[in-house]
Amino acid sequence: MKRANDFVVGLTMLIGAAIIVAATLWVKQADFGRDQAIVTARFRDVGGVRIGTPVVIRGVRAGKIEAMELSDSAFVLARMSLDPEADLPVDAVVLLNESSLFGEWQATIMSRDAVGRDPDVVRQISETSRGGDVLPGATLPDIARLTAVAGRIAGDVASVAERVQVAFDEQAARDLRLSVRNFSELSTILAQTVREQSNNMTTMSADVRGGVQSLVRSAELLRAVAERVDSSTTRGEVRRIVDDAAEAARQLRETSRRLVGISEQLGRSQGKLESFLATSDSIAQKINSGNGSLGLMINDPTLYRNADSVLRQLSVLLADVQKNPRRYISLRIF
Amino acid sequence: MTAAQGITSLGRWGRERVEGMGRSGRFIGYTLVGARDVSTWWPQTTLHARELGVRSLPIAMYIALFTGIVLSLLASYSFTGAVPLYFVGTLVEKTITMELAPVLTGLALAGRVGANIAAELGTMRVTEQVDALETLAYDPYAYLVVPRILSGTIMFPVVVGLAMVVGILAGWMASIALLGISSEEFLKGLRLFFTTFDVRYGLVKSASFGTAVTWIGCMQGLSARGGAQGVGQAATSAVVYSAVMILILDAFWAVVWLLGRTP
Repeated sequence: MKRANDFVVGLTMLIGAAIIVAATLWVKQADFGRDQAIVTARFRDVGGVRIGTPVVIRGVRAGKIEAMELSDSAFVLARMSLDPEADLPVDAVVLLNESSLFGEWQATIMSRDAVGRDPDVVRQISETSRGGDVLPGATLPDIARLTAVAGRIAGDVASVAERVQVAFDEQAARDLRLSVRNFSELSTILAQTVREQSNNMTTMSADVRGGVQSLVRSAELLRAVAERVDSSTTRGEVRRIVDDAAEAARQLRETSRRLVGISEQLGRSQGKLESFLATSDSIAQKINSGNGSLGLMINDPTLYRNADSVLRQLSVLLADVQKNPRRYISLRIF
Repeated sequence: MTAAQGITSLGRWGRERVEGMGRSGRFIGYTLVGARDVSTWWPQTTLHARELGVRSLPIAMYIALFTGIVLSLLASYSFTGAVPLYFVGTLVEKTITMELAPVLTGLALAGRVGANIAAELGTMRVTEQVDALETLAYDPYAYLVVPRILSGTIMFPVVVGLAMVVGILAGWMASIALLGISSEEFLKGLRLFFTTFDVRYGLVKSASFGTAVTWIGCMQGLSARGGAQGVGQAATSAVVYSAVMILILDAFWAVVWLLGRTP
């Protein structure tokens, strides 16, 4: 049991230690058994650079800062380990600068020609150029220093503004107000003029647009007519149209002649109708005046009364016949 | 109350205040004396190391797993907008390695290990097994206390170190799966401000937690009086004092080791 305990505890400790050490080395990107090129650079100040800060060549990470130590004459020597495949630029210098706004620094190895003309950087590089294997270096200002410079510039701007305020007395303010007022009136007049001209321009442009549209339509019609004429002449349709027109004229003449005949017949029928109507009118007048048998029948009520009396008596007779048929009908077979 | 009684009460109050410190000092002294008896405590050490350390691994991994996930989500929530998301890796690494893995694991083990030791030793005390050891010429401090404190001091850093790895892995996976952060971005942030000091700091702190938790557990257990109730009180006191001591040590190491230090 004790041996089992010893084994389990020992194994746990070994595994734990191995995992922690391996993870640490992996995160630190440690290289074992691989040759590294060592480059040393001299700086006046290394800013926020620390051990492990990446070294960059042409934007690619090529190594890291291995060590830093104070040197004579207030310089700092920084030792960098680089990938053996990384080629240093000709006449190389090292710039230390912030790689982001969050306190990350990097060392950039570049050619002296690519440094630029910043007088402070040029001065640092000239100060740290001592020849030999040590590269000259310069440190670019960090965000805090840039902010300080910006603050100083802001102070200068405030000072200038104060002086302008002094020069800008009451008379200048009055003149300026007057100028502003004049300019305001001028701008009002100008705006009104522009507005009127704008209306005129709108009307004119509408007219022009209408005229242009009419021209376009006319041109389209003309083009269509031209196309039809062109196609008609090419396919013999004109001749056929002319022939059709002649036939139509002939049929029209025949129809006209028939219409004249019909008109004459209608005239004759009209005379006969007028004669018939005159005769009918004469008969109607006689009937109304009670002349003739028909006039008497229509105008004398006596006939109506006699006929009504006869119908009543006939009705009484029929009722009596139905009631006493033997009085009127005697049917004997033998 | 007479003047003599007042003076007596004051003296009793002062004695009781100092008594605890004296008892602790005497306990430490006996433990150091017992540490000389290597043949007694050495065979017991791996037994307790297995009990206190190896069997505490699951709970420590469980805590670290969820701590890593929550921490990455919390970091992304806090960094929305202004701060680049690769700083999630930085925050997870720093927080897990230097603070959360040691402290949370220490608190969990204070409950598990501290209560276990106090209950075990308390039971031995109230059932007079400790007295029996003394009768058999065994030094109870060498036999019971030293191997436990040694095991806690050695095994707590092992457990915490593995918890660090699991917590960071969990934060890494959560960042990829839940936050859409690429693996390269997370690793960039992880490596950005990583130093070996972070790991050393967490491991040393956890070793001190291990010493404190086992020491308090042993002291409370051997101080148990009465029966089962006394054992229960000893276990409760061990957990409470261990948790308080962990937080005090956490602040102590921060002041001693971090104050004025630049990364």
